[in-house]
Order: sequence, then C-alpha cells, then structure tokens
Amino acid sequence: MMSSIPLNAGRRRVFGSVFSPRRSKPGHHRQSSEQAWSAATAFLTIPDRGFALIFELRGTDGNEALKNWNRLTPPSKETGEALSYLAASAQQPQVFKQKDLFDWYGDEMRRHFLTNLRGGLCELLAGSEKEGLLRTIVDCLQLARRIYLAPIVHYMMPFIATSEQGRILTQLQRVFHTVVSYSLPWEQISTLLADELLRDALIILGIDTMLESSDSEDSSQDGMELDGFYSVSYKDWKHASPEARAVMMTGGEMPAVTMARDQLLAFLNGLQLVGLGGDKAQKVFASVMNLMMTEFVRAAYTNQWKRPSAVPQHLRCWVENIFSRLAVQVLAIIQGTSAGSELPAALDVSFGDVGKWQEIATARLGALRTSELFDIIISWPASSGAIEDLRQFTYHPAARAHVTQTFISLINQRLLHPGASTIQILQLYISIIRAFHLLDPKGVLLDRIARPIRRYLRERDDTVRVIVSGLLAEPSATAATESNPLHSTGENLVELATELTRAHQFSLNQTKGELDWNDMTWVPDPIDAAPDYRKSKSADVIDSLVSLFDSKETFVKELQTLLSDRLIQKRENFDQEISVLELLKVRFGDSALQACEVMLRDISDSRRVDAVVRHDQGFNKPPSRISSKRVPRPDIPELHTKILSRFFWPELQDQEFKVPAEILSIQEKYSAGFETLKQSRKLTWRNGLGQVTVELELSDRSFIDEVTTWQATVIYAFQEDGDSGEPVVKTVDELAESLEMAVPLVRSACLFWVSRRILAEIHRDRFRVLETLPTEDEHRAGGDAGSETGDENSVGDAADAAAAADAAAAAAVKETAEAAAMEKMNLHWQFIVGMLTNQGAMPLQRIVMMLKIVVPGGFPFSNEELRDFLAGMVTRGKLEIVSGGNYKLVH
Amino acid sequence: MDYNMEDTQNSAPDALEASKLNSSAQRNDTQSVTKRLQSELMQLMLAPSPGISAFPDADGNLLSWTATITGPAETPYEGLILKLSFAFPNNYPYSPPTVLFKTPIYHPNVDFSGRICLDILKDKWSAVYNVQSVLLSLQSLLGEPNNASPLNAQAAELWDSNQEEFKRHVLARHKDLDDE
Repeated sequence: MMSSIPLNAGRRRVFGSVFSPRRSKPGHHRQSSEQAWSAATAFLTIPDRGFALIFELRGTDGNEALKNWNRLTPPSKETGEALSYLAASAQQPQVFKQKDLFDWYGDEMRRHFLTNLRGGLCELLAGSEKEGLLRTIVDCLQLARRIYLAPIVHYMMPFIATSEQGRILTQLQRVFHTVVSYSLPWEQISTLLADELLRDALIILGIDTMLESSDSEDSSQDGMELDGFYSVSYKDWKHASPEARAVMMTGGEMPAVTMARDQLLAFLNGLQLVGLGGDKAQKVFASVMNLMMTEFVRAAYTNQWKRPSAVPQHLRCWVENIFSRLAVQVLAIIQGTSAGSELPAALDVSFGDVGKWQEIATARLGALRTSELFDIIISWPASSGAIEDLRQFTYHPAARAHVTQTFISLINQRLLHPGASTIQILQLYISIIRAFHLLDPKGVLLDRIARPIRRYLRERDDTVRVIVSGLLAEPSATAATESNPLHSTGENLVELATELTRAHQFSLNQTKGELDWNDMTWVPDPIDAAPDYRKSKSADVIDSLVSLFDSKETFVKELQTLLSDRLIQKRENFDQEISVLELLKVRFGDSALQACEVMLRDISDSRRVDAVVRHDQGFNKPPSRISSKRVPRPDIPELHTKILSRFFWPELQDQEFKVPAEILSIQEKYSAGFETLKQSRKLTWRNGLGQVTVELELSDRSFIDEVTTWQATVIYAFQEDGDSGEPVVKTVDELAESLEMAVPLVRSACLFWVSRRILAEIHRDRFRVLETLPTEDEHRAGGDAGSETGDENSVGDAADAAAAADAAAAAAVKETAEAAAMEKMNLHWQFIVGMLTNQGAMPLQRIVMMLKIVVPGGFPFSNEELRDFLAGMVTRGKLEIVSGGNYKLVH
Repeated sequence: MDYNMEDTQNSAPDALEASKLNSSAQRNDTQSVTKRLQSELMQLMLAPSPGISAFPDADGNLLSWTATITGPAETPYEGLILKLSFAFPNNYPYSPPTVLFKTPIYHPNVDFSGRICLDILKDKWSAVYNVQSVLLSLQSLLGEPNNASPLNAQAAELWDSNQEEFKRHVLARHKDLDDE
C-alpha cells in the first residue's frame, strides 16, 4: 500500500478529469470505481508530516494542525463524488468487497502513525522528563486522532446512512486504538499513568490533607475549624454529631478536590479516547486504588487510639462515599474497549463490590493496628479504642495468627532484651493482659502472646522481687516513699497492690471449675487455642504473675525476705503488710504463707512481750516510745526489742560489732527478764539491725537524730574520753579494733557523722569531733583541713560527705555481699566437683545448665563468672580442660 | 563408715508406720521427691564424705543419679573407681532407690549385671536412709562382703579361700568407665 501512494497521486488528475463517478454506466462500473478509488484515496491520504509538528501544536485547539495536515480543505467536487460513490459502494458488501475504502483508510492511519508518530512518542517516553509527560502524550494522540478522523467525519459521513455511521466510526476508532496501544511501550505508560492517578487520587480521596496539612492551600486545619462541613479527616468526623457525620463526606467538596477530580476525569476521558484506557488502565487504576486504601488507613488512623473508637464506621463511610465514588467515576470512563463501548456507560461497580472494599479496608486497618500494637499497649489504657478496632479484624483465625505472630516478633525485638528493666516488662505484661482481654475475652490470643514473655520473665533473676515489692507497695505511693527507703524509688509496680485489693472481690466467686455442668454459657475452646490452653478466669493480673513460677515457694521466699526488711523497721503499725498478707492468703492458702504469718505475729507479740519485760525489769520510766534502743542520756537508755522467731525468718544480714558496755548490760538484763517470761527460749541479739535515737551535746549545739546502731556505736566511741577538753581524735583502725567492727563499716559510719557535721576528717581515716562549728573567719584564717570557705561551700561539703558516707555504706554492704557470694561459690564448687566426678567431663554450658537445675534457689552467676572461676580452678590444678572445651577433674 | 551404726542411730520404723507414711506419700506428687532429693544433694555437697560422691544425671528431673565410690584402702578394691546408678521411685523415700553398679565389679554380693544384694536396699529400707547412707553401706560392703547370701558364689568362695586369687579376679573384671 505504501509503495502505491505516489502512483495513486500521479494518476489522480488523469482519472479524476476523465471519469466522473457520476457517469457510471453499467459497463463502466468497474472502471469508474477505479477512478473514484484513486480520487478518494488521494484525497484521504494523510500527509507525512513529522511528529514534531504535532508536538508543537498539541496545546492548540487543533484547527491549525488540521490545516497543516490538509484536513480542512473540502474535497473538490469530483473528489466529493468519488467519495460518495465509494461510501455508497462500501455499504453494499457484495460489491468491491476487496476494496473497502474504510479498510483502506484504517491501513492508512496505521501506516501514518507507525511511520510518523511512533518514533517521536517513544522518544518522548524514553526521555527523562516525566512530569506531565503522559498528559502531553495524550494531547498529541488526541490531536492525531482528530487529524485522522476529521475527513471521515466531515466529508464521508454525509454520504453514509445514519445507521452505518456509528459502526464505521467505531471500526476506525478501534484501528486507531489498537495501533496506539500496541505500538507504544505499555510498561512506561503504565508507570506514568500510575503516577498521574496517584497524584490526583491523593487529593480526591483526602489523603493529602491528612499527610501534610501545610502542603495544600486548604489544609486540614482549615477544613476542620472553618467549615467542618466537608472533611474526610477522622478527627473531625469523630467530634462531629451523627447528623454532621452523615453529610460530612457526601456534602460539598473542597474546591481543590473538585478541581483535581475534574482534571483527572478529563484526563482519563482523553486517555480512553486515544486508546490507552481499557483493561490495562483499569489494572493500573486498581493497583493505585489498592495503594490509596492502605495509604488512607495509615494517614487517617495512625495514632488515633482513643476510645470510643469510631474508626471502623468512619472507614466504612469513607469507602462508601469517597473511595467508591471515585472508583465508579473512573471506571465509567475507562471501561474495557472490547465489549464495553457498545453499551452506554454501565455502572461497573455493584454494591457487593463496595462491601468487599469495606472488608478490605477493615483488613488494612487491622494490619495497621497490628503493626502499631506494641505502641498501643505501651500507652494503654489511653489507647483502648485501637484495641476495639483490632477486634473487628481478629475474627478470622488467619488474622489472629497474624496478630500474634507480629506482636510476638515485636515483643522480642523491643521488649525482651537486656535493655528493658524487669519493671518495664512486667508493667507492659500487665497492660498486655488487660488489652488482650478486651481484644479476645477468651484469652486464646493472650495465651499465645504471653508464652514468650513468661518464659523470658522466668529467666530474670529479679522478677520475683519486683512482683513481691509491687504487692507490698502502698497503693498511695507517696506514703510509701517516706516510710520505706527500700521502695522510695518510684520504680515500683504500685499497680499490683491496687490490683490485689481490687481483684480480691472477684477471686472468691470465680472458683467454679471446668466441669461445671450448670454453666449454660459454656462454649468449647476456640479452634485456634493451643493444646494446653487453659481458660483463664479473668484478666487476673496477679494470678498471671504469680503463676509465672512453678512453685509458690520462690514467691513466698521472696515475700519473706521483703517482709522481714520491712518489719524490722521502726514503724507504728504494719497494717499494710497485714492486709496484703491476708489478701495473699486468699490466693495461696494459709499453709503456704505460714512463715509470713509467724513473722507478722512476732512483731505484734514482741510489742506485748517488750512491754511485759520492761515492766518486770523496771525499765519503764517515761511513757514508752517505740524504738529499738535508746542511747546515752545521763540516765539509762531505753531499750525496746523485736523478738523474732529465728526459724521462720529468712537469713538476715547482720554486722557484727561490740555494743557499748552500757547497752550490753541492759541487754543482759533484758535477756534475763525474757528468759524468765518465756522459759526455754533464749534471746540472740542482732545488734546490726536496730535503730537508735541519738542525742549529742556538743559545746555549741546539740543534735538529735535517728541512726542505725552501728553508726550510734561509732559516735559513742568518740564520747568516752571526751572530758579532756581536747576534741577526740580517732582513726578508723583504732575504732575497728576496739569495736570489733569491719573497717569499711567504721569508715562508713564516720563519714556519715562527717556529713552530719559532728566529725571532721583531718587526715585520711583519722576523724576528730567537731566540737564547735567553725565560723567563717576561722576558716579564712586557719585554712582548716576541711578548707571550707563559706556557708555554701560547707553545705556542699556536708553533701559531699553524705554522698561519701552513702558510698562507703554501699561499699560495706557490697563487701559483705561479696564475701557471701564467695562462700556461695565454694558451695557451687562442691556441686561442680560432684557433677564432674559422677557425670564425667562436661563443657561449660552443661555445667551451668546442671547447676541451674540442682542448686536450690538457682545459680546466680553468669556464664562468664563461672568461666573465670573455673579458669581459676584450672590454674590451681584442680581442673583441666580436655578435648572439646570439656572441664575434667584432676585426680 | 559402718551401716550398722546408721542402723542403731535411726531404728527402722515398724511396718505399720511405714505404711501410714506410704499412704500419705501417695498424695504428694513428684514435687516432694524432688525436694527431698534436692536437700539430700545439698547435704552431700555441704558435708562430703571421703570416697563417695553422687550427682543427678543431666535429664533434669533429679530422679536418676550417678554415684561414684572409690575403693576403700586395704580391700581388694583399693583405688578403683566404681560408678553406680541410682533410680529413685516416685514415692521415694518411702521406697528404696534402685541401685546398680555400672562399673563391672567382682564381688560376692553383686551379680554380673551389677545388681546388688543388700538388705537396706530391699526389705530393710527405711525412709531415714538416704543416698549418703546407702553409699556408705556399699563402701563398707566392699570390704566386708556378706558371704552368707552371695549372688556370686564363686566370688564368695574365693573371698574365704584365696584372697590373692580374689583380688586377681577383681582387677581382671574391673574396667574404668571412661568419661564420654
């Protein structure tokens, strides 16, 4: 066909002048049609003008282009006749079947497009400039389409029966569409199309206003505060009244949205017109909408956790009104070409589809909440709305599995690592228990989530301690801080104490077992429950925590230790402890807590016994004040005791030292009195555990405070030969020797007194009584060892000294603890020897594992510590390392 | 070192009492056994006796132990390392553990599969015995076999007739169990 063009052009004039189509006689029929054919094709042939021209003219109304392409000149009379002749014959299928003018023109269009336009368009597509590129291309193609179809529409249609006009136009259009869609690289076009759709959909669906309020001129703030009329923002919607909600999304759109919508629809119209719409475009559109859905859910609902949650309703509303609307509008334009264009714009979206979209959106919401779940739990209970959202999602077992899996991996990553403190973990665990109870009252999800947490908590050494101290903490945390230095950190699970009192009310009436035949609300365990899943009674936090440990013993033992710490303090009453104990008894039974019971009884009994003994021994002088001991006054110091039944109390860490003789004599007298009262019982004094009210008279001031016994003993030692007028000076070593007290402890006590400005350290470890407080002048002149230069400084010094005293006390405690640890290690050494003797050589890991199993109370050392210890034993020739890193005893 | 001495210190409870204890023990689960064994282990560790040692196996439930006896001086077993296995029943200590020699041993009261004929492991068992006392009894049994009721008649005969030959048999049969 292409090669014949010049020939046709050449012959046109000749035939055109000689044979008019009108003069068609039967005999000349064939000839005249030949003539008409060449005249018509010559007229219709599309001039080969390059793409550049189209590109330049794409923005214009197109008339210029049509002129350029010779499409505006009406055909000459002869040509017109030829056209009408051919058009008429084309409608008679039996004649000239092989030479249908419209087929020819279709081919001509194809040829022209491929030779002239394709190269240019592909070049455009390959270029780096992507912004608006697709629109440009569509414009060009539209222009080309006009150029192609103009002569047909203008000059051919009049000759064709109205009924046939549509068919022929469609046919030509299809040719154009086919050539366009197959000759251009779809891959690049689809990316461009996706970008275009994305940009406008973001605006139309209201996502952009939520993403960046500053981005568009009418930001979400405007929308929220000014009109409150049209908005897709969840926040606005939530605060609006139900009536307002109804119109919020269906009401008038913001201008930007309308604009974007019109623009997009126009663009899509063009797209469809030039043949780039249809199935392929639908696919692109679907993927964009898919993205939009996720994006919207993310933008609208992230961090919107407050309850009551209206998110699901809002989301449904959005899908129905905004998402579906866009989908309907777009799909109406880019219908499939094959069959679709015949039908008048049929509604492609059924209500079933909308329902499906809503479901998908809910699932997206679930996915979002799942990914946020950890943070949701952290901000529990403020975030319970989010849990409600999640509830909508966790109907399906697969969804539930997804939630638990995601959450477990989040937990492992964010919580169960050494950086998190046990208190944090426990606190979060409590929140998890509550949140998941709301999410899934059956407790199956909780059961699954809790396993790794519980496993991890069991591995932590201080879990028990934290739980127990939480239980013992006073619900009003402020009260606890002053009376109880141990718990003054504020880092305490006070929640547990509240929970304990609260949960108590439920615990009694919830004891019905699994086999309650009258339970009419019984349902089987959910299908995704673990085999050993046990329905937990309720969101009973305490129960969950206490059941962390296989036996109650660990728990009770820790309880005893903490209780003993608290009970030996000087306090008016122990109501808090008593009530906690009573509550715990409900859970554990009396027998398990017997020791604690005895401890509490000891305390209350000793008050009575103390009164009796003191009365009998004639100690009672002033109305008794509750204190363990009272030290120097001119008269006999008061002495009160707490009598503990040694057997029921845990090991108390005591510091050995000699108490002043005066106290000793009272103690002896007291002991005698006690032994007459309670025969066959004996008192052993725990000197290190008491409190003393000390009253010191210095030459310029007096001092009264409550201190520990060892601090009192040290300051008492300074008193003894204090008559000489010279301030007493003593060294730590002297004191340690005379008091039979450990050196670090003496030093700690001295530093404590320095901090109280009773003593001063003149050299290292040498202390002197500060009989008169140095005045400022004295300091300036003397330049005392203390080197205080003013009140501020002296205050600072006192603070320093206090810190030093604390540090020294800590060091003393640490020393005793280390000694105890060493002793413990020796015990462990026995275990190791036994193990290696009987079980043969073992690697470190196995030794640690075995020790963890067999040593009562667990193995408190890390692998590294044990490795060091064993290495020490190797150098001492007690062990050897044989093949494979196994440790073996040396015989 | 003599199990008779143990016996006099803690007279065996009569059958009635034992059965009473037994019935009450049924109610206790394995936990009390574990506890008991743990405290026995602790005791062994805190006050080790020379020549004997025992430790739970690695299976973790404490119900099976391995023990080691070093052959006492002035016996044919002098210096030999003898390994035994202890398997504790669920109602321990109301029933005796099953004790076997793992190391091949030539002894009048031990058969070739390591089974031991010792009254306190059978009918004379009492809840006051423990791993330590059993091991001490076995240790003394090495030096003073009970030839009245032998499991290995040849050994019993040789013990009485020819100590030299007996020792030769002991050494021939002995084989150190290697640490695996």
